[in-house]
Amino acid sequence: MKRSEIKELIIGSADNDADPQNISRRLEDAGVTFDFSKVFNEKVISKLFTTVISDDRELEFTRNLNFVFYRIALTGIAAIVVLLISIFLMEGSISFNSFIGLSDSYDESIVCLLTGI
Amino acid sequence: MKELYRQTDEVELVRASIDGDKFAFEEIVNRYRKMVARTVKGMLGDSVFAEDIGQEVFLKLYYSLSEFRGEAKLSTYIQKIAINLTLNEIKRRKRFFPMFSRDGKNELSGFDVADFDTEEKREAIELVNKALMSLDPKFRIILVMRMLQGYSTKETAAVLNLPLGTVLSRLSRAREQLKEVLKKL
Repeated sequence: MKRSEIKELIIGSADNDADPQNISRRLEDAGVTFDFSKVFNEKVISKLFTTVISDDRELEFTRNLNFVFYRIALTGIAAIVVLLISIFLMEGSISFNSFIGLSDSYDESIVCLLTGI
Repeated sequence: MKELYRQTDEVELVRASIDGDKFAFEEIVNRYRKMVARTVKGMLGDSVFAEDIGQEVFLKLYYSLSEFRGEAKLSTYIQKIAINLTLNEIKRRKRFFPMFSRDGKNELSGFDVADFDTEEKREAIELVNKALMSLDPKFRIILVMRMLQGYSTKETAAVLNLPLGTVLSRLSRAREQLKEVLKKL
């Protein structure tokens, strides 16, 4: 398309009586097209969904942590109960010393135990 | 999955996008990227800034999709976001970089010559770009809507939220300015 024709189209687009669709189509045929770079879609999608994915990962980690803690806590409570029952059966009572394994030790024996004398 | 969405109507695409389906949203981006490029690049010139604003348009669209009630076309909704962001960018530049702005005209019009396969196409787009950049943004946006998007005067008034009379008077003033500018080009 000649330069003068393009100028006419540009001026024509400001004319209320002109057909704007015809003008835009003719300009497009003349090479007046606009687009973004080839990686435009990827950039938009990665900006949107990488953030969402990282949020999802955070949520998943918290959920897993809660689940694991729940399992460990239950097992731990069960182990403590078994330990208390076994102490009660062996010692006949439940004291702090027997709980920590010092029920029949004296101070001297602890010193011997620690120093190895 | 991408292929599946090629034929899907926009209401379904919007619904799937709200549910976090990235392929559905990518199809929306694919369908409307050229329309957004015409508005953004027509107003700002072809630059990396235009690419950034283009991305911002789709990010804003994604986060406001739940507000889209489907009363208007999706294209009109996207167009309005593109217009608002572009005009805001022009205002921002005028405020923060007044030395790059001359009489309210934007100076970012550097096209990458390598993008054009023929000299004729390069010349055509350069001419359109120079003509647009010579206008004040409030006239330029009307020309972009008519010349590049092919909107009628009524459609232009609706999408810009302006009375029809205002669009007509701006169109007439833009025509006079363009005649003067194009004489020199």
